[in-house]
Amino acid sequence: MDFIVKLASGFMNLFTLGGTQFVSWVTGIIPTIVMLLILMNAIIALVGDEKIEKVARICTGNPILRYMVLPFVSAFMLGNPMALSIGKFMPEFYKPCYYASATYHCHTNNGIFPHINASELFIWLGIANGVTALGLSTVPLAVRYLLVGLVANFISGWATEFTTKLVEKQQGVKLSRELKVK
Amino acid sequence: MAEYKSIRVVHGAGGFGGPLTITPTEQRNKVMYITGGGAEPECLAKIVELTGLEPVNGFKTNCPEEELALVIIDCGGTLRCGIYPKKRIPTINVMPVGKSGPMAQFITEDIYVSAVTSKQVSLADGAEAPAAEEKPAEEKKTEGVKFSADKKVSETLASQEKKSLVTVIGLGAGKVVNTFYQAARDAIQTCITTLLPFMGFVSLLIGIINGSGFGDAFASVLTPLAGNIGGLVILGIVCSIPGLSALLGPGAVIAQIVGTLVGAEIGKGNIAPQLALPALFAINTQGACDFIPVGLGLAEAETETIEVGVVSVMYSRFATGWIRVLLAYAASFGLY
Repeated sequence: MDFIVKLASGFMNLFTLGGTQFVSWVTGIIPTIVMLLILMNAIIALVGDEKIEKVARICTGNPILRYMVLPFVSAFMLGNPMALSIGKFMPEFYKPCYYASATYHCHTNNGIFPHINASELFIWLGIANGVTALGLSTVPLAVRYLLVGLVANFISGWATEFTTKLVEKQQGVKLSRELKVK
Repeated sequence: MAEYKSIRVVHGAGGFGGPLTITPTEQRNKVMYITGGGAEPECLAKIVELTGLEPVNGFKTNCPEEELALVIIDCGGTLRCGIYPKKRIPTINVMPVGKSGPMAQFITEDIYVSAVTSKQVSLADGAEAPAAEEKPAEEKKTEGVKFSADKKVSETLASQEKKSLVTVIGLGAGKVVNTFYQAARDAIQTCITTLLPFMGFVSLLIGIINGSGFGDAFASVLTPLAGNIGGLVILGIVCSIPGLSALLGPGAVIAQIVGTLVGAEIGKGNIAPQLALPALFAINTQGACDFIPVGLGLAEAETETIEVGVVSVMYSRFATGWIRVLLAYAASFGLY
């Protein structure tokens, strides 16, 4: 009998532990994120997509703008996955490269700006929670995540130009380097 | 009456729904606007001009539903925005409001479009709308005819051309307030549809792992892997192996769980906190490898580009993943 009781209470304990975790997240994380999300959503709605598209046209010219500045701005303003749609302003050849950079930008900036990719926030939050548990601030981590991300995402985007050339050769096709005028 | 033309309406900044194609017929030849207490919405003139629809002010008169080709509203998201979609009458909302209110379930992309200004309205056959300069003159003419002819227009409200300062301020403030309100609605929606479910799911997982003793087993696997830079680089490389990377991707669920587990180990002190930075990069080297065709589709890429891009991005993830982890490691000194 004792054994069964012990088993049952052990079983219930799993859910109590889970519930405690859930409540601590809901009360500790959700309020701040909701406030941030509201402000960011409002700013984005007030600025509008058209301005981003204007910036996009200017930024296709050189690698730094293309893989560092533009993906950052479009991730911030449009979030995941609409930030990827900005690739339409690139020549075909650069679209995969922009994609490679922009998708990473939808993660590395998530520490400071959770609105960018709220549904995949736990990549950041999961690890950041551990840091919080130690009583440390997550802000320095978030800032470095963003800064390292800027450099690393640029490298990832640029490197994709080389892998794209490689795959072009493999598949025997050549993608257009020029932007099609519509 | 005038000849009728179809128009295409897309949603504006922060808007929802659409694109709608509105095709007037002999029977459905009216556009009703129920906005700003009777003031004419900005997009109306262009819609009337392009389609040849007859405008009806919903605050003044009513109009049989069978004659309506389109309704324009400025609903902040309570009731009106759901009524006409429910009746399956195409609805344009000038406010940036998505699915909301008690009739939210009827507000769908095929019948409703929001945050619309004249910029979002164009002829359906793809032809650009007439140049902006020549419009105002024509508009005024049509309006003049419409209002004097068929309506007992109450003097104040319908004089949209010269909106009083109060109206302008009122409408402006209304737009900002509504934008924020919609932003809040979106934010809460995100919490309910994505954040809370994930928190619930991961909480249960953590409860089971910690309560059952699995946690120690996990720790003994994770700590050597995530607890030092060599292990993190290996983790990063494994996650980005072309092919495997696409399997690990969907919804980033696996990365999020691994992140939570690594976080738990950091919290317990088994992994040094400054390794959080390279860990963030290591668990996500596969980022979005499952999404390449869709993402490139969003960028309007051609089929060829997608075929090349899928392979190319996987290669570049594999080639640069470990560099990212090392970069993050280099930047992690002095973090905590």
